[in-house]
Amino acid sequence: MKPKVAFFDFASCEGCQLQVVNLEEKVLDLVDIVQVVSFREAMKEHSDDYDIAFVEGSIMRPMDEERLKKIRHNAKILVALGACACIGGVNKLRNKWSVDDVKAEVYGDAPIEGNPYFDVFPTKAVSEVVAVDAYIPGCPINKNEFAKVVTSLAVGRKPKLPTYPVCVECKKNETVCVFELGQFCLGPITRAGCNAICPANGEGCDGCRGFLEDLRVNAMKDVLRQHNVTLDQMMKRFNLYNYKREGH
Amino acid sequence: MARDIDIHVEHLTRVEGHGDIFFNAKEGKVENVQWHVTEAPRFFEAMLRGKSYVHLRPITSRICGICSIGHSLASLKATEAALGVQVSEETVLLRRLALHGENMQSHVLHIGYLVVPDLFGVGSVFPIVDVNKEAVIKIVGLHRLANFMSDLVCGRTTHPITLQLGGFSKVPTIAELIDLKSRLEASKPAISEVAGLLASVKGNLPDFDRETEYIGLVDDNLYALYDGDIGSSDTGLHPVTYYKDITNEYVVGQSTAKFTKHARDSYFVGALARFNLNESKLNDFGRETAEVLGMKAPVHNPFMNTYAQMVEVADSVQDSILIIDELLDRGVKGDMAKVELKPGRGISAVEVPRGILFHDYTIDSIGNCTKANCIIPTNQNHANIQKDMDELAPRIVKLPEKDIELALEMLVRAYDPCISCSTHYTKVHFV
Amino acid sequence: MRTMDPDAWKAFIDKLIEEPDLDVVGVKQKGKRFVFAPLDRASELRLDYDVTILPPKKELLPPNEDLLLFDISKPFDVLAAHDERKKVLVGVHPYDMVAINMMDEIYLGTHVDEHYEVRRGNTLIIASDIISIPEKAFCGSLGTHTVESGYDLLVTPLDDRYVLQEGTPAGSELLEKFAETKEASRYDIERVEKLREELPGRYQRRLHVDKYKWSEILEENYEHPIWEENARKCLTCGTCTLVCPTCVCYDVSDEVELDLERGKRSRTWDGCLLKEFTQVGSGEIFRETPTNRYRHRYYRKGMYLPMRYGFVACVGCGRCSTQCLADIADPLEVMNVLASSSMEDPKKLPIPEVKVHGVKQELLVPKAAEITSKEQMTDIDTLYKIRLDSGQALGHKPGQFVELSIFGIGEAPISIASAPSPDAEFELLVRKIGDVTSKLDTMAVGDKVGIRGPFGNGFNIEELQGRNLLYIGGGFGLAPLRSLINYSLEHRSEFKKITVLYGCKDPTALLFKDDLDCWGCAEGVDFKMTVDECWGDDEWEGNVGVITTLIPEVDIDPDTTMAIVVGPPVMYKFVIRELKNRGVPDENIIVSLERRMKCGVGKCGHCQINGVYVCLEGPVFNYADIKDLPEAF
Repeated sequence: MKPKVAFFDFASCEGCQLQVVNLEEKVLDLVDIVQVVSFREAMKEHSDDYDIAFVEGSIMRPMDEERLKKIRHNAKILVALGACACIGGVNKLRNKWSVDDVKAEVYGDAPIEGNPYFDVFPTKAVSEVVAVDAYIPGCPINKNEFAKVVTSLAVGRKPKLPTYPVCVECKKNETVCVFELGQFCLGPITRAGCNAICPANGEGCDGCRGFLEDLRVNAMKDVLRQHNVTLDQMMKRFNLYNYKREGH
Repeated sequence: MARDIDIHVEHLTRVEGHGDIFFNAKEGKVENVQWHVTEAPRFFEAMLRGKSYVHLRPITSRICGICSIGHSLASLKATEAALGVQVSEETVLLRRLALHGENMQSHVLHIGYLVVPDLFGVGSVFPIVDVNKEAVIKIVGLHRLANFMSDLVCGRTTHPITLQLGGFSKVPTIAELIDLKSRLEASKPAISEVAGLLASVKGNLPDFDRETEYIGLVDDNLYALYDGDIGSSDTGLHPVTYYKDITNEYVVGQSTAKFTKHARDSYFVGALARFNLNESKLNDFGRETAEVLGMKAPVHNPFMNTYAQMVEVADSVQDSILIIDELLDRGVKGDMAKVELKPGRGISAVEVPRGILFHDYTIDSIGNCTKANCIIPTNQNHANIQKDMDELAPRIVKLPEKDIELALEMLVRAYDPCISCSTHYTKVHFV
Repeated sequence: MRTMDPDAWKAFIDKLIEEPDLDVVGVKQKGKRFVFAPLDRASELRLDYDVTILPPKKELLPPNEDLLLFDISKPFDVLAAHDERKKVLVGVHPYDMVAINMMDEIYLGTHVDEHYEVRRGNTLIIASDIISIPEKAFCGSLGTHTVESGYDLLVTPLDDRYVLQEGTPAGSELLEKFAETKEASRYDIERVEKLREELPGRYQRRLHVDKYKWSEILEENYEHPIWEENARKCLTCGTCTLVCPTCVCYDVSDEVELDLERGKRSRTWDGCLLKEFTQVGSGEIFRETPTNRYRHRYYRKGMYLPMRYGFVACVGCGRCSTQCLADIADPLEVMNVLASSSMEDPKKLPIPEVKVHGVKQELLVPKAAEITSKEQMTDIDTLYKIRLDSGQALGHKPGQFVELSIFGIGEAPISIASAPSPDAEFELLVRKIGDVTSKLDTMAVGDKVGIRGPFGNGFNIEELQGRNLLYIGGGFGLAPLRSLINYSLEHRSEFKKITVLYGCKDPTALLFKDDLDCWGCAEGVDFKMTVDECWGDDEWEGNVGVITTLIPEVDIDPDTTMAIVVGPPVMYKFVIRELKNRGVPDENIIVSLERRMKCGVGKCGHCQINGVYVCLEGPVFNYADIKDLPEAF
């Protein structure tokens, strides 16, 4: 019996779902082993009968929470897809200010009070609203990791994410460390699984896959200080995707 | 037949982002037709406040998953304008190549995955595999090639990595460019075939014309995507720095509508606008494809936006080949312009697949952004979509309900809206 | 020795590059650094390099390597994946050649790793003398600035010519077939010798202690403050182990394609600095703190590997210290500090004698086997009977384990629960904890699995013969113990008094109920069991209390009794204390320890307890040998 799969998105750029489409020919393999019953971006058909739900995006409003809870209720397995769903991603950057303040900045004095579409609270990741069974992190996700998670679920194995830092993948690729190029990088405290793609392209890691559970943050700050990174620069970089995880 | 009709399409499928369509008729007369955006606002402009100039590009890239290269380039151009950074010709060539990759990728996705199902009367691209597997494989192949190109130039197609302030953090090698060129050449037959396929089902598009103002970038020599002045089919050329005069936002009646209007009540941005403004700048392959599709500017049928995208796919492939030739001739050195901090304001415009995009940043003396404004193309189309619906509705009210629904859905899909990019909420109320 | 002028050398390399079916990998520039990479033309070769980012070990033991290819849509379709391509490595510096020689011993020594063997056999090495020296290297102090053997050719780039030393017949053949050479002159040979002689003096950094003293110094400094001091700054990013030429540990995992048919088992570099290196199925991590992990690397290089193989596993290349962002990875600095300090009351670190094993089989390809019966014992424990398709007996000793494969999921080490027998069938007790064991739980009689092994050092029957045996089994530990208990009952006359003590959590956790009954009734066997706790409505009439409560009930003659203890880690401390209180000498206590086992043959490095491999020297240990090992209990 092919598991039934559905894709949902909340506040996001939909870039993560695009990576699923970017599997190109392998999408035909994908739809062979699972039955896609709902994928709003690509299909007209929709069904509420699904086993696995992939959820992209962050939760911003009470109406989003309700919709998410319904999805959680329908699904046996719920997978958070991408940084916005897993850790809040860039969507959490606005949590620095009050909801009133950001509304005023963007909408000025347009009459939006009492309108449920505007009833936002500070951004939440999916796990802050419902229980999540598996995560596919990254901004965007790595489509190979997506394929791995799907095949794991299909063969009956709990998907496992790397618990080691990006440095491991960078070294295996023999990439010249970006610290040597005068940049700085959050690779040592960020979860691997992206194959260290940003350092491979000459840019230091921003931590989009989320910091490790026991990150060596003090050791990291020491290293950054040694490389003349100011506290302001450090915090701005730390907070890009991992808002308020470390420090202010 | 005088019937009462109530249609509510919730969360329109096969578009990027969330939107609803309402259609109400009483005794055969249209009472209400509405295009209603329900996307959660993400407050990007508020987010950018206080951010370091080095983070503006990574953050704004995340406005859109499909146009992230476009947003990145608009962001870099605006920051470079604010700081007075001049990039080299090589950088411009590579950036144009990146934009072509994105245009191709987005258009092929839209044409093949989002629109073609309607033209074949099915719900998604998957059933088409059984009916015409060849066509699907060609479409997938073109999509893959476009991604391959963006991966090569940008490191990654969604949320590009190598696009940096002043240049590229990694450039393709000569061998890689030669390989890319041969792949692009080899894709031309497939493009012609897909164009032929589209031409064969052109009759399934509603026959509907509504002239409006068409706005896009215009350049003297090129079919403009990366650079140019703002061009209007009604009022001619305008400098990019005067964008606010073009994108006037205004409120209609008691509704919370924010329309953008310029010379008329609404305007059109996107492939059809670009085609209408820049047809004379198409290269041979683009022109040939336009002929196959029976298109001659000006085209006023919004449903033809998808077909204009097909023309652009062909034009992009050929233009990319020309750009690669030039790069092979000059050699690729990996120029990086020097960046020095100074306070300033920078405004940029770039054509992304869905239309003209503006970024406007004010940066202080220590490199922090104090104010930001981003005008998204789809934003600029909402008013036009509504106006089209207003005019289309009475013409289709006598059709079976299923057909009314499909026609309205196809109309919105034709615009290839990128709703989640809309940082402004637009609720249109037919008064 | 032979010589070539620079043009002839270039022509030689270009000829090799043009040769079909031969990959030429040499040192190229990458940004400001150097790497080993395929050469397109000889002009790319940079023999004047100082050091590469990654050592040439990546060409012999790649960062990612396919081991097996399988098709999970079939019952058992498994093939070894071998890299048959022929390669020439050009520009391997002497210190890296020394490291390759060490790697050869580890991978081709006692148990031959076939994947490595094939690739090594297909690779020719043209080593080259050192021209430039990186800042942090200290090869001069270790004697690794020159190398005697291992290379097929050794080239010394002089200003006006290239001098070549032939190392093997294959190297000579290469010269004959592709190069134009002349006999080296006396003058050329002198210049080469001079270059090598001057090298040690050119190293800016000097070791203050001979490398053969490292073992001794490390042994006395296990508690030195430097470990914690440095570890505080450690990012545990794994960089030091990944760039090290003598680090060869790896992890293995299975992957399946989206078509759910084709899949592969592959290995990838792993490092002891990473947190999950020692994690087992139940989640326990045996080297948890950064201090332990940071320290372990130095001990492995400077003490454990030397004791096992006779070489100090550091070649002074300086890669780790150059690339460590926290600047704490420098072996020279650490050893110099240790050499100059003197710990008050240094604790000596015992390493048990390394035991040699004769595992004669293909190491990494599992044999086909079938599940012939499944008996559920508790909620989470099931007893499986497995039969090798070949019909041959497993040939195991009590205390050994097998690696059980479910392709597409992975492999898990399971103790053998049945006594040795000439039958093709053997028994495994499996607890449902992780991926493999959970998947096994869903499989049925008739399904196929893969079996590797038997591995490990089983119980030493000789040291048990003629003695009183006191078996103490806790919970799941009864499984391997059962193998030995039943063996001893089958050979009853070889042993004196037999006592079996068994304890488990509660009555629902009882294992091997049939055997328990049997042991309870057997002649000449004193059997006692207990449960930790028992809720009122159970029909349990026996002892309630932890297993140590049974020990006072047993008569023990300390000198003639061997205590064989197997149970969860927490149990050992308490049971052993009880035994010691009864006067049982250390060498009369036998234990079986669990660690993370992957390869089963002492290569992947995960099961190390200090310098001891649980898969080779264990899992059965004599308590006297390991009681002072810091990482044992």
